[in-house]
Amino acid sequence: MTVPAEGCSSMRVRRFFAGELEADERAQLEAHLEACGRCQRTVQELQGEREALAREVPFAAFAAGVAEKLAARRQRPRFAPWTSGLAAAAAILVVAGAFVLRPSSRDMGLRSKGGAPAQIFVNDASGTRALSAGEPIAQDAKLRLSLHPGGRKYAAAVLLEPSESSVLYDGPAVDGPLPQAFEWTGAAREARVLVVLSDEQVDAEKLHAASDAPRDADVSELVLRR
Amino acid sequence: MPGLPESLLAELYEKYAAAVYARCRYLLRDDAEAKDALQDVFVKVLEAIPTFRAQASPSTWILRIATHHCLNLLRSGRAKWRDEAVQTAKVRKPSFEPPDKRELVRALLSSAPEEAQEVAVLYFVDELSQAEIGVALGRSLPTVRKRLREFLACSRGALRAALPELSLPEGDEP
Repeated sequence: MTVPAEGCSSMRVRRFFAGELEADERAQLEAHLEACGRCQRTVQELQGEREALAREVPFAAFAAGVAEKLAARRQRPRFAPWTSGLAAAAAILVVAGAFVLRPSSRDMGLRSKGGAPAQIFVNDASGTRALSAGEPIAQDAKLRLSLHPGGRKYAAAVLLEPSESSVLYDGPAVDGPLPQAFEWTGAAREARVLVVLSDEQVDAEKLHAASDAPRDADVSELVLRR
Repeated sequence: MPGLPESLLAELYEKYAAAVYARCRYLLRDDAEAKDALQDVFVKVLEAIPTFRAQASPSTWILRIATHHCLNLLRSGRAKWRDEAVQTAKVRKPSFEPPDKRELVRALLSSAPEEAQEVAVLYFVDELSQAEIGVALGRSLPTVRKRLREFLACSRGALRAALPELSLPEGDEP
């Protein structure tokens, strides 16, 4: 097994490009890079890594995923995150349709050009579809929230039940389905998903009703029924 | 946490996400799992930022979190990982060609104890010196050497069985 030659370190090259090296270390590495084919290949590999990331996990998807996982790590006793396989995720992505059961009054005014700011897709034994108004949701159905932020920067989504609220999402306002689906596991017969789209960051933990949303935010509610 | 600090996340993405994604793909060998792990790693990074020591290298620290996360995922599916290790070591091109060093290290990780796995990645993949590994892990130099010897000792048997024509150094000093 080959041991790296003195001066060769892929981590040092990484630190160089991350701007972490002191001036003397940086100068040494620059001189080393000019003469070392091995480290030049490392530089090429790092460039390949950046291209792969940009191609496969663009920032918007990355940020949305991290935001959703952060929200999921908070206590959410009334629903369970559900990670689908790629095929199921793709199936959900291609389904069209929208509904907003009870948009707030200010929401309707702000969003008159953009249509529904949020919708829910359901995946259960009978397939994947946009959830219709009043349609009962099976206990094990997978739900996925899709946003249409209309230029808003931040989004928060909270599942509201009679005695409890649980954060579904809190982060950048991605356009389209959120990456992580969830199951509604609460015992209540009805729940609401409160969606707030804003130009300012929203503290989802403090959202317990539409009236808690910032004054200039787009607010909508989607009703879930058993 | 009131919302996600997007500027911080953007900086983390710009500087470190490519390395973390590459590490996740390297260890997990599954693009979907790697994408999921990438996000999990940065959730852990965001939560652990208050514990980050200012004098440490962010790249080393973040890649350690990534490596640790992926190794834990692999350990949770240990039997499958071992089978794959044997196959990876055996499958080569018809004309003899030494397997890629990093691939070989990855294949052999499952045979080593937990901390030796992490030390092996830092040494053979990230190419940190033993002293740098000691600093990164908060371990003494003798302990780092001991973990490397453990990795090599655990690997030797598997390598001899899978690659009898490969010339192995007799000593166990890395």
